Amino acid sequence: MKKELLYIGIGILFAGFSACGDFLEEKPRDQIHEEEAYQDATNLYLNTVATLYTHIGGDTYSQGLQGTYQGVYDLNTFTTDEAIIPTRGGDWFDGGLWQGLFLHKWGTKNDALLATWEYLYRVIVLSNRSLEVLEAHRSVLTEGEYNAYYAEVRAFRAMYYYYLFDLFGHVPLVLSSDTPMKEVLQSRRSDVFRFVVDELQEVLPFLSRQRSNRFGEYYGRVTRPVAWFLLAKLALNAEVYTHDNWTDGNRPEGSNIYFTIEGEQLNAWEATIAYCDSLERRHRLSETYEENFAIFNESSVENIFIIPMDKNLYRNQMQYLFRSRHYNHGKALGMVGENGSSATIEALQTFGYDSETVDPRFEMCYYAGVVRDLKGDAVPLDNGDILTYLPWEVKLDLSGTAAEKTAGARMKKYEIDPTSSKDGKLMDNDIVLFRFSDALLMKSEAKVRKGENGDAELNRVRARVGAASREATLENILAERQLELAWEGWRRQDLVRFGLFTRAYNSRPQLPGEENGYTTVFPIPENVLILNPNLSQNPGY
Amino acid sequence: MNAMKQSLEKLRYLSLLIYYLFFLLSKGVAQEIIILPDTVRLDEVIVVGYATGSEATISGAIDKVKEEDMNRGLITTPFDALRGRVTGLYIPPANNGPAALEAVRIRGTTSLTGGNDPLVIIDGIFGDLSLLRAVYPADIESFTVLKDASETAQYGSRGASGVIEVTTKKGKAGLFNITYEGNFGISSVARHLRMLSGDEFRQVARERQIEILDQGYNTNFLEEITQTALLQTHHIAFGGGSEHSNYRASVGYVDQQGVIRNNSSRNYTAKLDITQRAFNNRLTLDIGMFGSLLDMHYLNDYQKTFYSAATFNPTFPNHKNPETGGWDMVTTASQITHPIAWMDVQDDEANALVNARMRVVVQLTDHWKLTGFGSYTYNSVENSHYKPTTVWGGGEAFRGLKKTQSLLGNLMIQYKKDWRGNHLDILALAEAQKTTLSGFHTTVTNFKTNQYGYHNLQAGAVRLWEGTASYFEDPRLVSFLGRVNYVHKGRYIATLNARADASSKIGINNKWGFFPSASLAWTMSEEAFMKPITWLNNLKLRIGYGLSGNQDAIQSYTSMQLLKPSGVVSAGGAPTVTMGLIRNANPDLRWEVKHTFNSGFDLGILENWLMLKMDYYISRTHDMLYLYDVSVPPFAYNKLLANLGSMENKGLEVALGITPWQTADTELQVNATFSRQKNKLLSLSGTYRGEKMSAPEQMPITNLDGAGFHGGYNYIVYQIVGEPVGVFYLPKCTGLEELPNGGYRYAIADLDGGGVNLEEGGDRYIAGQAMPKVLMGTNISFRHKRLDLSLQINGAFGHKIYNGTSLTYMNMNIFPDYNVMREAPRRHIYDQTVTDYWLERGDYINFDYLTIGWNVPLSGRLKPYIQSLRLSGSVNNLLTITGYSGFSPMINSYVVNNTLGTDDKRNYPVTRSYSIGLSIKF
Repeated sequence: MKKELLYIGIGILFAGFSACGDFLEEKPRDQIHEEEAYQDATNLYLNTVATLYTHIGGDTYSQGLQGTYQGVYDLNTFTTDEAIIPTRGGDWFDGGLWQGLFLHKWGTKNDALLATWEYLYRVIVLSNRSLEVLEAHRSVLTEGEYNAYYAEVRAFRAMYYYYLFDLFGHVPLVLSSDTPMKEVLQSRRSDVFRFVVDELQEVLPFLSRQRSNRFGEYYGRVTRPVAWFLLAKLALNAEVYTHDNWTDGNRPEGSNIYFTIEGEQLNAWEATIAYCDSLERRHRLSETYEENFAIFNESSVENIFIIPMDKNLYRNQMQYLFRSRHYNHGKALGMVGENGSSATIEALQTFGYDSETVDPRFEMCYYAGVVRDLKGDAVPLDNGDILTYLPWEVKLDLSGTAAEKTAGARMKKYEIDPTSSKDGKLMDNDIVLFRFSDALLMKSEAKVRKGENGDAELNRVRARVGAASREATLENILAERQLELAWEGWRRQDLVRFGLFTRAYNSRPQLPGEENGYTTVFPIPENVLILNPNLSQNPGY
Repeated sequence: MNAMKQSLEKLRYLSLLIYYLFFLLSKGVAQEIIILPDTVRLDEVIVVGYATGSEATISGAIDKVKEEDMNRGLITTPFDALRGRVTGLYIPPANNGPAALEAVRIRGTTSLTGGNDPLVIIDGIFGDLSLLRAVYPADIESFTVLKDASETAQYGSRGASGVIEVTTKKGKAGLFNITYEGNFGISSVARHLRMLSGDEFRQVARERQIEILDQGYNTNFLEEITQTALLQTHHIAFGGGSEHSNYRASVGYVDQQGVIRNNSSRNYTAKLDITQRAFNNRLTLDIGMFGSLLDMHYLNDYQKTFYSAATFNPTFPNHKNPETGGWDMVTTASQITHPIAWMDVQDDEANALVNARMRVVVQLTDHWKLTGFGSYTYNSVENSHYKPTTVWGGGEAFRGLKKTQSLLGNLMIQYKKDWRGNHLDILALAEAQKTTLSGFHTTVTNFKTNQYGYHNLQAGAVRLWEGTASYFEDPRLVSFLGRVNYVHKGRYIATLNARADASSKIGINNKWGFFPSASLAWTMSEEAFMKPITWLNNLKLRIGYGLSGNQDAIQSYTSMQLLKPSGVVSAGGAPTVTMGLIRNANPDLRWEVKHTFNSGFDLGILENWLMLKMDYYISRTHDMLYLYDVSVPPFAYNKLLANLGSMENKGLEVALGITPWQTADTELQVNATFSRQKNKLLSLSGTYRGEKMSAPEQMPITNLDGAGFHGGYNYIVYQIVGEPVGVFYLPKCTGLEELPNGGYRYAIADLDGGGVNLEEGGDRYIAGQAMPKVLMGTNISFRHKRLDLSLQINGAFGHKIYNGTSLTYMNMNIFPDYNVMREAPRRHIYDQTVTDYWLERGDYINFDYLTIGWNVPLSGRLKPYIQSLRLSGSVNNLLTITGYSGFSPMINSYVVNNTLGTDDKRNYPVTRSYSIGLSIKF
């Protein structure tokens, strides 16, 4: 009898504890377990492949490849002779951030650098995870679907690695989402470069041939033309990317760096040309320069890769027009302005501003002189004077000067979307990341570097905007890249390739020791080094 | 050496002198004047957690505040009643406007992430600070504050930050009474920042030949946005009872305007308690309900409000432009807006809370008692805001509802026995709690009219994807507790607690946490050998050690890898929502555990003519929950909630009560509390999944905001390993250096060598701490016949404040887009680099209130009806003595968030209130 009671007692206790266990189990309702997200082909695609594209643009600092502040774009633009955000009295000092970028004194503790590093790697780690999930759930997909999705994610990840090693040099190559900390080791820049090239080449056959900038199934996605464009960029900059000791002054020769394309061994310049030629199969120059930046630029035949924009559907913002225009300029458009970014003196000189030989694209890319609203009326300042941008007055610190608020030619480029919202940051113009005229200039440059004549490609680009022909010298090509690609985020890479990034120019002295080229690569952010002692700092920092 | 000797000598004489004075005074006064208090209330019932005891059976460090010890005067929340009254309990000054919910700290900050607010328990119901706002202060009978782990361990996982137990008033047998209590008050701004007036603004511009926008007015916008605020409170309670049953019911109403227009709160409270005894008092049933409806009109964005009011062009009018019908803005001042237009922003909250509870106590035998308790709390918070098109592009409306339902039940068995000088009290308890949190919100923009406010969301054209969301969580807790309290011969007291807690939020392998504690006390004054010392009437030594936990910082589901909607993309040509990981999951989450050692003594001299209570504690928080910076890669996100690191707090608390003068007609009492506290962040590293991890040794906590302060190195307060949480880490300013234009800038010392390089975060040093080292509260109360007077003085010492407001408003670079301080043109500084130039001592003494009351003598006819009638008058926030040059030193110097120690253009004006009160008991 006593024994039975004991058993019953133990039984009750056991039941009590197991009920307890159930009571303490979390059953989320506003979030789902992974298994539930990958059950069928549609959800598997959405939550492994499509989900990655939510990261391509953004609305907060350092998130997205373009459109936001203090990210990839700003590091490639405000560190160069193309554009500047001058300090304007109480505005735009921002703890010395913009001056620091312009003077190449960005430091190793720079928040923008850290946030950009973390952004790029986050997308890479999430891509790794998507690949693992696709592998694990392969059975719900057809062979064709699996290959296409798997290839797309690999290409997407390769693109993020390209941005990463371009900015930070020797970065760890992490290919699995559960890599233990101790295995996160630095890879050489040239190895990451090779990895990216191999990845893109391997997945090319599985990528769609569709153009990515058009509405439709492949809108905004990594397709074959996007991969071609990336491969062309990789080949053209191969000298820089394979130069692992970039401060030693011995850059490898592009003619000695080889790529295997369709069984053929091609050197860097030949490879560039080959990939640019591939692009010509899908893209061409559009009739006008402006249509690539129009509100509805999805029909452009020239744009290759874009950040999809829709003020009602997507989070992606375009903050650069808002950042550049004067307060009253923004107000006159029914929007807002932050009165920041401007063209540098060097940019004005390259464009021939104020001269008889001004490039036709100056008008298309910049606001200068009297500012007009959409109806063509001059925009007044608060005191009734007419708002006039004074391009030549720009300098690093304008505080206290008469032109404090009005110095500098401002960003135009994109057509004003009068229905935009969020102060003008949510507009419908897709943000152009890659376009075909860049490919033509790359081809021209590769030809010249190879010792051939690149006039034809250069002058196709010039003729489209009605500019007179020029001889395709390296100097003219670099200038043309600035004229054609102003505000598009390429200047740092171009200057590095031409060996001119570290030179002194108007209001920017060369830093001591900079001539060895250490500033052509950003430092690994200090926080990253603290958290992962296996990594070491880039030279010079 | 000699000098040191001399000063030591002086010190000794001084202390001897004080001692003699003290002694003489006590002897003389005691013999001649003092009428000794009739009883030393050692046997009064004190609820300590689940247990009940008396002063004679308690061995831990607790503080009890009875009604007569609570603050008087203008009391609108229970916090007001308690402020400055308990050592080590910090309640911030109530000068942030009527709608701000206080943060409260017991013995400082012990966790980095959350759960630093104490657990609030009202008649057995668990809750947070908002639960306390649902009770009208006059319904509270007493507060018991549990500080050290030997007692807080009873609450295991929830007690790490201390416990405030509230016992509310209940009906009393044999008495029927009705009370009314009401206050009426007005408050106004005591002090404004002194900016340039319109005329001065014009003059400075003229002198410096700066072109300005001059609309010809002379507007002081800081005054324009303020008002004389009215305040009223009413409270009616009645109750009564017999031997077998009693009841009490009350309703209360607090209506409070802010001194800033558009800022007010209204609180309606109701409460009902019934007790019924049966079967020879073997069974006791207790039922209670309380509820409140709190309507708040918040100030939306303190910084925008006060930054705009201070720096908006003072030549602009305080009204709309009659020609355009709109507000004239200074478009070049992009960080601010027209301060009066901003007053049209609506930011409202309706907070409804209702609680019902029931307790059944069965006295099984003389020694055994069984108690069952159940409680249900429902709380709904509705937030609504509207930003008009005049100040917000396209306007913006927001509506959101948050619901919390909480079920709590426990079963407790208790054994109590007294025999031959022994007292034994044993308690065993099982408890379960389930909370359901759910809610949703939506945001709408693109309005063409402001007529609807937030009342018709269809008036806005755009509903962005990220503006709408909903959530659901239901965390649960299960606990078992055992407690033994043993007293031998009325002088040796021992208490043991052991609690086991399990939480659904904790990782699957670490669900259970065990929190034991023990404490000992020795009432020395009860020993025979102490009896001859007649002037010593109480001396009790206490010592305790215990563990308590914290899991508040853990959000539901953090231990699981889950997917959430991550955004909209084009998929197959159609906009589609995808799912994605939104944070790093940590399946190994554990309890954060705090170990506390406490020792102290209670001393009563000359029949409690002087009472002294001292406690020393040292606590260490281990497995500290924190959102650690982790390396990306291998992690996808740069933060991981994990249990690494540790923190130490130690301190000394002194509570002193003296009754220097006491006769039948007159009594003077001085009560003072001092607490000295030292905090140290010991480590931010540890092992996670077999790998050593360490977060950066320096992490910024606060930075300045406003024009020219975006990005870069504008950080002010940091947490640095090896230092107290919240230290100023700043460039060192060596003075002002002249600029070519005749102005000045801050000269910066090259601390690191190799040239000044602030942009990289270098050339900084630790310049002081943000949290006060010493807190003081003093109450002086005086009674003469029917008149009484009470003065409360609070103070904080040893900390610093960064005067970011002056840094910004003294910078002539911002003129004329932004207005500057009146001093600024003379100082001629053209710089807003963050340096220690504007770091100042934050020490202050604040005269919190002065209340004068009069118990009206009742004449013959009224006497049968009215038991007592009291009139009172109070002044709140009389005076502040400080060396701080800014607006007010009473900023956030206590809560670790992005405003800690940083006075940055967001201070609510210092207000002074005058009120009169009436209380009648029938």
